[in-house]
Amino acid sequence: MNIFDTKKELSGFVLAGFILMGLLPLSNTIVPEDSIFHVAGYQLSLWGKYITYAVLAMSLNLLWGYTGLLCLCQSLFFALGGYAFGMYLMLQVGVDPVYNTALPDFMDFLGYSELPGYWKPFKNPVFTMLAVMAVPGLVAFVFGFLAFQSRIKGVYFSILTQALTYAVCLLFFQNKFTLLWVDFTFGGNNGFTDFKKILGANINDASTTRWLFIGSTAFMLIVYALISIMLKTKFGKVQQAIRDSENRVRFSGYSTTTYKLFIFVLSGVIAGIAGAFYVPQVGIINPGEMTAAKSLDVVVWVALGGRGTKFGPILGAIVVSMLKSYATRAFPDSWLIILGAIFILVVLFMPNGLVGLPKQLAPWINRIRGKERRANTRKTVTAP
Amino acid sequence: MKKTLLICLHFLLVPLVYSDGDSSSRKMLEELALGRVDSVDDHLNDLVETGDPFIKVFVDAWRVGEIYEYELENAAKVILHRVSEQFELLTSGEALDVPEGREKYLKKSRASRSLRKDLSRITDTIDLASPDLDTRINAALKLGQGQNKDYLPSLRARFERETNEKAKRAFEEAIMISLLKNAEKPEERLGAVVRLGELASLKGRDLVIKIRNKNEIDGDPKLFAAARNSVLKIQKRQSIVENVGSFFRGLSTGSVLLIVAFGLAITFGLMGIINMAHGEFIAIGGYTCYVVQNVFESTFGIQSSVFQWFFWVSLPISFLVAAVIGLVFEKGFIRFLYRRPLESLLATWGLSMVMRQTFRLVFGAANVSVETPSVLNGTSTFGLVSMSDTRLFIVVFAGFVILITWLLLSKTNLGLYIRAVMQNRNMASSLGIPVARVNSLTFAFGCGLASLAGATLSLVSNVGPSMGQTYIVDSFMVVVAGGLGNLIGAGISALGIGVTDQFLQPLLGPVMGKIVVLFAIILFLQWKPGGLFPTKSRSLDD
Amino acid sequence: MVLSLIHKSTPLILSVDGVSKSFDGFKAINDLSFYLEEGELRTVIGPNGAGKSTFMDLITARTRPDEGQITLHLEEGHDVDLRRVREHQVSQLGIGRKFQNPTVYASHSVYDNLLLSLNNNRGIWASLRFKEQKRDREKIFEVMKAIRLQDVKGTLAGALSHGQKQWLEIGMLLAQDPKIMLVDEPAAGMSDEETDRTGELLLGLAGKHSLIVIEHDMEFVRQIASRVTVLHQGSVLKEGDFDTVRSDEKVVEVYLGRQARKH
Repeated sequence: MNIFDTKKELSGFVLAGFILMGLLPLSNTIVPEDSIFHVAGYQLSLWGKYITYAVLAMSLNLLWGYTGLLCLCQSLFFALGGYAFGMYLMLQVGVDPVYNTALPDFMDFLGYSELPGYWKPFKNPVFTMLAVMAVPGLVAFVFGFLAFQSRIKGVYFSILTQALTYAVCLLFFQNKFTLLWVDFTFGGNNGFTDFKKILGANINDASTTRWLFIGSTAFMLIVYALISIMLKTKFGKVQQAIRDSENRVRFSGYSTTTYKLFIFVLSGVIAGIAGAFYVPQVGIINPGEMTAAKSLDVVVWVALGGRGTKFGPILGAIVVSMLKSYATRAFPDSWLIILGAIFILVVLFMPNGLVGLPKQLAPWINRIRGKERRANTRKTVTAP
Repeated sequence: MKKTLLICLHFLLVPLVYSDGDSSSRKMLEELALGRVDSVDDHLNDLVETGDPFIKVFVDAWRVGEIYEYELENAAKVILHRVSEQFELLTSGEALDVPEGREKYLKKSRASRSLRKDLSRITDTIDLASPDLDTRINAALKLGQGQNKDYLPSLRARFERETNEKAKRAFEEAIMISLLKNAEKPEERLGAVVRLGELASLKGRDLVIKIRNKNEIDGDPKLFAAARNSVLKIQKRQSIVENVGSFFRGLSTGSVLLIVAFGLAITFGLMGIINMAHGEFIAIGGYTCYVVQNVFESTFGIQSSVFQWFFWVSLPISFLVAAVIGLVFEKGFIRFLYRRPLESLLATWGLSMVMRQTFRLVFGAANVSVETPSVLNGTSTFGLVSMSDTRLFIVVFAGFVILITWLLLSKTNLGLYIRAVMQNRNMASSLGIPVARVNSLTFAFGCGLASLAGATLSLVSNVGPSMGQTYIVDSFMVVVAGGLGNLIGAGISALGIGVTDQFLQPLLGPVMGKIVVLFAIILFLQWKPGGLFPTKSRSLDD
Repeated sequence: MVLSLIHKSTPLILSVDGVSKSFDGFKAINDLSFYLEEGELRTVIGPNGAGKSTFMDLITARTRPDEGQITLHLEEGHDVDLRRVREHQVSQLGIGRKFQNPTVYASHSVYDNLLLSLNNNRGIWASLRFKEQKRDREKIFEVMKAIRLQDVKGTLAGALSHGQKQWLEIGMLLAQDPKIMLVDEPAAGMSDEETDRTGELLLGLAGKHSLIVIEHDMEFVRQIASRVTVLHQGSVLKEGDFDTVRSDEKVVEVYLGRQARKH
């Protein structure tokens, strides 16, 4: 079975893999620093961050684009994965020079004398990697089960997922909180930062940066391939059928609840892993990463890139992130206004996003071309 | 700010009292200071009877040496009060210049040690005779809790002569609390313990508990039993008071939510618009109050009585401002999003970002505050529960908003149209109802309501660019739990959520309380997926 | 609740015994009894609010009855209590339902619409590993022929005409191989010619499947009906062939009469 729709897509996929996983890291090591082909370490980190965002957008697209569930807790899954991995990183910091203990410094600050029990397993990288998937997956499972079981959908689903994000975010903003008779602490406002080591390597080493970048890229390509395969199966068709008419699917004998739950959990897990890649590359994770507003940002990426397309979310995430890092410097005051306006315009005028733009503009361009041909000009029109 | 106002007020009031009928107490003070008194005790008692707050001022001044004895040219002796380098005649408060060369006739007046002691007792008990009921009650309870034996006689004397039921009760409570320590006979103390239980005295609670614990093991068994009994009685009363208090606070929190949620529910029910920028219209209300306040301040000055009117003026203005802005947005792009709730959610989120940043650019990122009009500064007491007047106002105002909305929907043509469009858009349109105009006006009305909520919120919290974000999640939950687009449902769930929230907060803390409420709503939707009053629809994929 | 089993030569496939259902105090279905024979084509008519949709919902487990029994009789005397199954299991038991507004998967082709409706394992893993078999294709082509959509098999369902969508939905039911088909207003919004063809299609299906058709259009009812059940205020007002029902005074009064006045 072919994974990809066209030969072009296949070659694009291979080319992307070659450039992202081979060329860029290579030019970071081999090419001398003063060459224009040299890619600096910070740029690699920056693009690594964009790529984790792209995966986050893909995970939302799985839900919103293909299944019609507008989920506003994607940032929660992302942050949960990030926090889980952050716990591991915090335990790798070693003895604190100020407090002279091996505890994460916020625990010293909060007066802990020993590591709480639920922190201990996170010393183990394998356990951490499982937790990175299991924690968001479990949250998605419990919430999804409750929501889908009682047929909560459409706007209701969006609002409830937003409320969930809001609630958990409030929890994480606290220095300590009690949940089910366990006292949790995740660094409150400041979250986790000042990481030192990852899997034995220094986190600031150039080679660590490279490997993290390669890892994120590989993960993105894997998710892309996974989604491509899924869309080809009957499962993918059922998924899209749920988007079009969920009741019909149910009356055709499919348990839509189970299907949606599966996709929801899968999407949560993917977002969680993306979060785990995000944290070491950015060097910080705090509750600001799981606000409802961040979730809506992800929706912006997907909508701008093209909802329900394979490439759209990647494009949207990267374009908006690049625009953001440019505009926050160039127009620090009006950047949010620009983004908001873009959002309104995209919803109103670009239902298929950037990916759908050429098709949307095609009749228009054709008309211009036709006119020009009639006017016998030699000017060529380039498609935007 | 408020403190300076109070001080200003104080200085404004003191001369008033001075020149008014209380000259008798001043006369008595002068006699006291000049030592022309036969029986100091009787004289002091008479002074206390006047309840004049100036006595305190005088005693303080005497202590710090601002009271002078002065011999006039006609050899008559008077008492002068030095107020900020200026001498005033004690009896009349008129300014008096001490001419040059006559300084030797001026000498600092000093009270004897025993008199000073008596005076300080007076100043403590003076408020017991205050003509103001609340001052009287507070003074009594404060003295009682001090458990100073010296004040017992004054308290008893006042208790006998008090006519007001409430004050009488307070005096009795104070006496009993004092007796817990100062009782001369064990029976007297036992009686006090029992009586405090009967009075359900919240102020005496801790002291009675102390007695109970002290006598538990090998103390007086009778006293222990009585104390235990009284503690139970007091705690029962206390829990009632707390519950009623939580209920009222919840009612006012719910009232704000209700006003916000009404706007959301109307726009959703009528147009299928999920307005994520609704919270920013709350902020518009807050900022309108702020602007109106500043205009009033610069026009009339902060101390003028006109300034106190700014809040009432800004209520209708905030409604209009938000309604007009809402109208512009509706005409601009929201009308393209009817019946597309998810798209509308996204586009209005974009709008919300734009608006928040605009607030930041115009008003700055920091929060601004709006004065509470002095009318709403006090508290009102209902039986046992006292509630701040601002909160009370919010509840009443929410009632007013419900009334207006109900009148609009049921008594006006627009309301008739709105209901028609809500039920069947196409049919309404073909019947000649100007659907587009109805939509615009309704959206504007919804925005206006949000803004009114923001204006009332400015009384209890700060106004800032993101103030709407704090309420928007809650109010969405209200609308969802009530059944999207249903006003009665929104009303009930707003009050329900507000009250539940306030009941949970003391138990779990504000954050956990909120989280529990959110999860409770999620679980509630398990049971009733469509909310309290689900919209009934015949079409399958709604 | 009266349990009145009527003995017939052909075996029953569905019995609804003394069922009642209220919504917020309003009795939508009131002590309703209804029996469907194997291979029968039954038309259910009734004025608005007579409880037709609720009746369908009860059979397809969308709502649960307050009292009474709903039983599906399968082969070998194997009975299923329809009050205790879940919605998606209803179709696995062999009851297919077509909704009033045509509901098809707009972004899938006609072929995929039918493929998704086939009577295969509908679990998640089965869907992920599903490979199309020859018999699947044959079945789909057979259905496409029956609903006359073989020429547009690649077209997206969202691009079909209203009538075609109605047929496609009927085709999706057929692909499930149902024992009972519940068809809600199949002729709504169709041209006369399309209505005639729909009638033929349904008549052709009777015998192989048992059908319950809800319809407003009396001409259409006359065309297809062998037996007609008239619902009124949540219970059966009259049952019989078209002419008997048509000439019944009570029916004329509550249904036809009222409609006549309306027009």
